Amino acid sequence: MSSREPRFSLNKEDVRLGATCFAGALLLAVMTGPAGTPEQPLGAAKQAIFSSHVFGFLVFGALLASLSVFRRKVRMGEWHSRRETPRRSMRSVLGMRLATMGASWWLLAFVIAVLIALLLADYTGPYVANKFSVAQLMGQFHNTRTYGYIVFVLWIVNSWRLRFSTREHRVHLPAFVKSVWFRVVASALAGFGFALCADPWLPERFSFSYFTFSGPSTHAFLSHLPTWLWSLGGLFLGARAVLADRKTSTKTNRLRARQFGVSTNTRFALYGVALFVAFEAPKFMSPFWQLAIFQQIGIFCFLAIGLNIVVGFAGLLDLGYVAFYALGAYVCAYFSGALPIHPPFILSPFLSIPFAILVCMLSGVLLGLPTLRLRGDYLAIVTLGFGEIIYVLATNLQSVTGGANGTGIIPSFTMNVPGIHFALNGQALSGDLNFYYLLLVIMIPVLLLFTSLNNSRVGRSWAAIREDEVAAASLGISGLKYKVMAFAIGASTSGVAGVLISVKSGVLFPSNFALQVSITVLVLVIFGGMGSITGVLIGSAVIGWILQFLLFHSFIDYQDADKYMYIGAMLILAMIFRPQGLWPSKRREREFHDAEGGLGSADAMSAPSDGSAA
Amino acid sequence: MSNYIAAGLFAGLIYSMVALGYTLVYGVLRLINFAHSEVLMSGAFGGYFFLHAFMKSNIASTPTRFILLFGAIVASGLVGAIVAFAVERFAYRPLRRRNAPKLTYLISAIGASYFLLNFAGKEWGRNPIEPPPVISAAVQWQVFGTHVNLYDLVLLMVTLVLFGIVNWIVVKSKMGRSIRAVAQDSETATLMGVNVNSTIAQTFAIGGFMGGIAGLFIGLAGIVDYNMGFTPALLAFTAAVLGGIGNIRGAMVGGVVLGLCMNVPLYWLQQPYYAPVIGFSILVLVLLVRPTGLFGESLGRSA
Repeated sequence: MSSREPRFSLNKEDVRLGATCFAGALLLAVMTGPAGTPEQPLGAAKQAIFSSHVFGFLVFGALLASLSVFRRKVRMGEWHSRRETPRRSMRSVLGMRLATMGASWWLLAFVIAVLIALLLADYTGPYVANKFSVAQLMGQFHNTRTYGYIVFVLWIVNSWRLRFSTREHRVHLPAFVKSVWFRVVASALAGFGFALCADPWLPERFSFSYFTFSGPSTHAFLSHLPTWLWSLGGLFLGARAVLADRKTSTKTNRLRARQFGVSTNTRFALYGVALFVAFEAPKFMSPFWQLAIFQQIGIFCFLAIGLNIVVGFAGLLDLGYVAFYALGAYVCAYFSGALPIHPPFILSPFLSIPFAILVCMLSGVLLGLPTLRLRGDYLAIVTLGFGEIIYVLATNLQSVTGGANGTGIIPSFTMNVPGIHFALNGQALSGDLNFYYLLLVIMIPVLLLFTSLNNSRVGRSWAAIREDEVAAASLGISGLKYKVMAFAIGASTSGVAGVLISVKSGVLFPSNFALQVSITVLVLVIFGGMGSITGVLIGSAVIGWILQFLLFHSFIDYQDADKYMYIGAMLILAMIFRPQGLWPSKRREREFHDAEGGLGSADAMSAPSDGSAA
Repeated sequence: MSNYIAAGLFAGLIYSMVALGYTLVYGVLRLINFAHSEVLMSGAFGGYFFLHAFMKSNIASTPTRFILLFGAIVASGLVGAIVAFAVERFAYRPLRRRNAPKLTYLISAIGASYFLLNFAGKEWGRNPIEPPPVISAAVQWQVFGTHVNLYDLVLLMVTLVLFGIVNWIVVKSKMGRSIRAVAQDSETATLMGVNVNSTIAQTFAIGGFMGGIAGLFIGLAGIVDYNMGFTPALLAFTAAVLGGIGNIRGAMVGGVVLGLCMNVPLYWLQQPYYAPVIGFSILVLVLLVRPTGLFGESLGRSA
């Protein structure tokens, strides 16, 4: 810093940061404001903004703004060089204002201490409705604001991380987007949007009635307002994360961006946004979408990520996926005492999940071991047969499964591990929405697990087997072992899905487990893009939507059973025109391309070289 | 007991006709044709519509009945051949041109199967239809303590004749030579002037012809239904594996052995739905113990 620069200068960057923080302060002020009512939303908002809280608002705004300016000075290099330049004399030669810098450190520490104290006081103090408190944060996961906080924190953290890692700016955007005024306005709007969204006038728990467009009155629209603002804010967050990321073009980041499509920062922010949308959006959707998501897309996603392990990762064809789905469901029914034969001990459906996994995994191994030693297409037909056998047995073994008339009533899903008390048909939310959350809570760890599995030694082995099994064997990768592993993992995922569907439907009929389910799930995986978890989820959503759409708008003499005709046609067309799917994984796409050029195989259909020849 | 043996034998004949389609296609493409079950189904529908159109009354004279039966057999065979040809044309050939991985063939074939299955369901209803009784059930003979009716006799004769023809085609004719050449080494066959694409299409058509007729007989024995092909095709595949997939004579013997293995235990079990369970267990057992089947694989060697 040259000494010619004024003592306290505000440049455009400072203004922008200040505005952002100002908006953040507004958010905090409103969040801690008094509660409103649906009848008097604006009055309450006015109260919140212009009453006693205006003081807190001003103080917070000022504190955050000064904090941001100091942080900016950090980026300008002053504090950095203070650390790096040990000798006072050298620092004074460089023209650093030592006293200012020391003071700013102390101020920063003070601000942080005050914030912590505020939080602590809030946490330990008396409970006030609508007041920001950690207790509320932990206890009220139905509360929209919770996710508001989370996303807001993610946003701040992410942008700070980005700032610190920025080396040069290179933005590939229209000029007006780059202009500082655009950003100031956009940040302020976003901040204000979030402030409004963390609404003081919405009740603690949402109910659908607030978000149906039934009432002609103005407050119906006003109570919709937060929804729209939430969505806009989410969009803005996502866009901002992406733009900020492009700006960050350090060498490492550029490399990563090329390797994974987007960099870690963007993904971090996007995951936050996706999580938020996944938790919040279904509450506000129209009945059509709610039906589509709760009835179809949710369970589709779960089934598809399991089959993706077999078809996408390992490159095998499993046509009896529904058999394990049925097994899981009937294991759950067995242990909850809903079958004619009685178990030695009755378990809640939640506790029957491990048994379902065990049974499905064992039957997967038993079925896979003899078959996978041979050519891959034997697996397809053996699983096809297995699915049919399970179906036949479920229909005809009256004394064991209850036959075609269905099982007895399967009790509702309850989860009572320490700290979590969940009942599928509990109060507050409708059963369908509760099922959706149950699915989400189980699916997110599964997704994380499968992603890391694909990036682990196991996933690399699957890729090696897909690409060239002989070469993989020469490196000591046992084809049989990893194929059976993939098959068993897929089977047990399907089993868990079976448990979930059995508690959702309450009664099981063999007709729920016909072969069509396998084919439908296969289509989800193929259409979305085999081997890509994102793609598979997208495929499930799109197909789930199409099926529901066709059902609601029967314009071509469409009946529910006809969907399989379109599904079949879609499979052929997908294989001819786009075998890698809608949203392919980069590696899988390249494998298909290479295989067509005669390089590698892109599937695990040949007999493993360590098994017996066939 | 002899009832069960007879039932197994005649069911086995149908399985071997279907298994032939699997085996032929497997021989030339090294792929399982998942759409073969729908070839059966469409053959049955072809025969049914033929009979429906020409059989005016249930009390036709015996010579008329035989002509009608012959016509229905030819019609179902042709429909089966056309459907199999179409499957090859639309679900296999575009992929072969691109040299796609094996997984994509299987997926596209299962797609074709599902498309045809539900197309039939949509067009012709999802309720089972009873075909006109073209073969009188009244004519029966007593053989070794069991009743053999006219249907069984016709089935036996048709199967033997068709096996003879297919065997002759594959072993003696020029078409058969090119089929065997493609089965052994399709690239070399191309160099020798064999048109691989048309040979594969012919193979599908031959298998489809047999499959369609088998479908007609399944339909005549009971009902015609849009998903009637599934279980018999699965069991026929088991028969093909049992005899050694890719092996024509293996398919013929495998079908009969499978039919007997599935039906004779029912004498003790007394529950007909166990038959597919037994068949499936046989499939897993064969794959476990002797994956090459009873007679070994390879179309080129055995025929």
